[in-house]
Amino acid sequence: MDQVVEMQPRNVVDGASSAGVAADNFMALTFDLNGERFAISVKHVQEVIDPLEMTHVPNADPFAPGLINVRGAVVPVLNVQHRLGMAASAQTPDTRFVVIEAGSYDERTTFAIVADSVHEVLEVEPAQIHPAPALGMKWPSAFIHGIIQAADGMIIFLDTETIFQAPTAL
Amino acid sequence: MMNPADTFRQEATDLLENLEENLLELEAAPTDRPKIDVVFRALHTIKGSGEMFGFSELAKFVHHLENAYELVRSGDAQVTQELIDISLGSRDHIAALLEAGQDEDIISQLVQSELHSTLLQRIAVLSGTGDAPAVPAAEADSGDTKSAAALVEYTIYFKPEESALRNGMRPDLIASELAMLGECTSRVVADMVPPLEEMDPSACYLAWELTLKSDAGREKIDDIFLFFDDGDIRVEEKELAAPPQDTVQSAPAPKAADTAEPADTPATVEAAAPSAPKDAKPGGERRPEAVSKVESVRVQAHRLDELMDQLGELVIAQARLNGIAERLGDGALGSATEEIERLVTGMRDATLSIRMLPIAGVFGKFRRVVRDLATELGKDVSLTTEGGETELDKNIIDRLSDPLVHIIRNAVDHGIEDSETRIAAGKSAQATVSMIARQSGGEVHIEVRDDGGGLKTDMIRKRALERGLIDPDAEYSDEAIHQLIFAPGFSTAATISSVSGRGVGMDAVRNFIEDLRGAVEVKSETGHGTSVTLRLPLTLAIIDGLLVRIGPGDFVLPLASVEECVELNDEETQNDRHRSIINIRNELVPYLNLSEIFGFERRADALNRVVIVNAEGKRIGLMVDDVIGQHQTVIKSLSDYHRNVEGLAGCTILGDGSVALIVDPSALIKSFSNQFREAA
Repeated sequence: MDQVVEMQPRNVVDGASSAGVAADNFMALTFDLNGERFAISVKHVQEVIDPLEMTHVPNADPFAPGLINVRGAVVPVLNVQHRLGMAASAQTPDTRFVVIEAGSYDERTTFAIVADSVHEVLEVEPAQIHPAPALGMKWPSAFIHGIIQAADGMIIFLDTETIFQAPTAL
Repeated sequence: MMNPADTFRQEATDLLENLEENLLELEAAPTDRPKIDVVFRALHTIKGSGEMFGFSELAKFVHHLENAYELVRSGDAQVTQELIDISLGSRDHIAALLEAGQDEDIISQLVQSELHSTLLQRIAVLSGTGDAPAVPAAEADSGDTKSAAALVEYTIYFKPEESALRNGMRPDLIASELAMLGECTSRVVADMVPPLEEMDPSACYLAWELTLKSDAGREKIDDIFLFFDDGDIRVEEKELAAPPQDTVQSAPAPKAADTAEPADTPATVEAAAPSAPKDAKPGGERRPEAVSKVESVRVQAHRLDELMDQLGELVIAQARLNGIAERLGDGALGSATEEIERLVTGMRDATLSIRMLPIAGVFGKFRRVVRDLATELGKDVSLTTEGGETELDKNIIDRLSDPLVHIIRNAVDHGIEDSETRIAAGKSAQATVSMIARQSGGEVHIEVRDDGGGLKTDMIRKRALERGLIDPDAEYSDEAIHQLIFAPGFSTAATISSVSGRGVGMDAVRNFIEDLRGAVEVKSETGHGTSVTLRLPLTLAIIDGLLVRIGPGDFVLPLASVEECVELNDEETQNDRHRSIINIRNELVPYLNLSEIFGFERRADALNRVVIVNAEGKRIGLMVDDVIGQHQTVIKSLSDYHRNVEGLAGCTILGDGSVALIVDPSALIKSFSNQFREAA
């Protein structure tokens, strides 16, 4: 039921660890939320799965509305749109859950975020990342690592350190 | 299979724990013969096994302490405060040596430390052996009173058990130990080596005949072979000089199941064996030295955890099987499924019981804590414990020490007054701290009670106002004020002592206990003392639950708190939406509408069942949309994202793969009790 989407990097043959990636380059997963394109570093991404039925947690923070069962593990679902001040979008056939594992070695947490669609895995050169402008951004700057200038437009590169933090830790 | 040195470390750690307790008891009753023997035997075992497994510095050190107790045993010395102090200090030092394991650097640091030499010096003074603490242990010592100087030729026949080599026996160590006692020659007896085809390559088929000329006395030789009593050991003695006192021709090898007790020859005084059962605590403390091999098996804790995890998965799979059987409605499948369910339940109970340990082990540690604290603060405090036989999951027990230390420290530091104040207040000069454990339904309650001055309500109120924790205009009961000691960063201690006053104590305790799915409460009466109660679940892993439907989802209520289920008829429900009281057999029971609390839409097919739970001693109803049935549940804890959601204890995976939340009735009722006040 949870079909795993293969993630093939576009610019390289083998994947993130291959010699084909220049030393400082890294891989990013791009996905869409409300028509905007976002990216997170691929090193935290475990898998991309089809949407699962979610158990709503009553009285929970809107950022973490529910729980899903990913092969026997209970995983919280995070609503990144809420954190970025965007409206929630309805589920479509393109909707995917991105399962992410973050945190340090002894305190890892696994969670899933909902994406309207998952786009691709992209190789990014550090030079492509520009600091987010202080003005004119509609998203809270604390959650934005920078802007990636890609061939087909701007991608908002999220800061994995802050964007997934539990509401109490903020 | 653990390696023998690790096994020794574990056993020695247990022995040291017991030793501490016995020393403290000895301090209270210095003439208790059996207790003295127990202490001596513990030291003796640690020394002997330590030597055997290569902890030679440790063995040397213990040897000196053992000598001091040997003098006490023989009546040449008394148990004094100094001896107890030294012994406790030494115990800690031995623990450090044990901890260092085979790490030469740390060991030599420890051995060269001032503490090491000071302790040896003090022991030497007590033992009357003057100022020669640097003498290497076993060999140079002849402080043994009875051995005299008679040179004896011993003929020792030594046939180790077949598994001895596998278990880590080192024949070379035995040889070198014997060589320390005197001139020793050996001859191999190879009669028992089987034909080639029957030979087990790791078994020991050899025996030795050893001839030793020594004046060290029979006891020393018995000591060396103390730990090979599964094998065949025969010792014959022949006086070479000096007239005999007791001539012992031959003695059968000690065969006692009790590990450390050689059968006595007339010349020895190791008659301590009968004391072991006598001093066993009613609390059923584990006393490794008295437990025979048949009764217990040492298992690494993580294997138990693995077993528990597997069992958890089994319970979930079994729930799925139940679901399928119900759907198919096949009779044969149904009865097989029921059978499996019964077996799984039995297995769950058996596995859980393996993990249950008496709480006495934790209590035992606190005698030392209280003693040291009382000494440091110049207060006179005794500790009493009650209900040590109460059992709790090992994982919970392991994590209880820290919070209990906080609570005890608070009690001794803040709660208990100094003797003058106590006498002025008409109390006994000696204060008492009690630790009481008892089981209550699915919970274990641990209460720490002191008979000190009680919480200083005014100080707490003042501090809370300063910190903005309470509303200056509102009225608070004393009880409500007392609970503020659990607020983050709260401390009324004027100065920071090494004991408490950093303001992290009670807040940390509360967090700790809540992580264990427990709760903590404080009750206090000015002038009469304070009581802190920890309420803990029996086990962390699996509970019996009642599966209910609320709104769009399934929820689990812990069955331990459920008393009954009743149905509401429509008239009653429509009349009051917030002031909800249900009449059950002429008893008025308030209830909460869970789907309203959880913010769910009312289902069209909702049945309005009310589950009556007992929370905090009160009967309270929880209205749910439907009651589905009983369900065995593996508790999974909630992540940081949901830990602060009120009224939830965790989550679980149901048979159909969906996630269900586990409701914590007590927490829920606490969070939403304002609705009851309205109702009242």
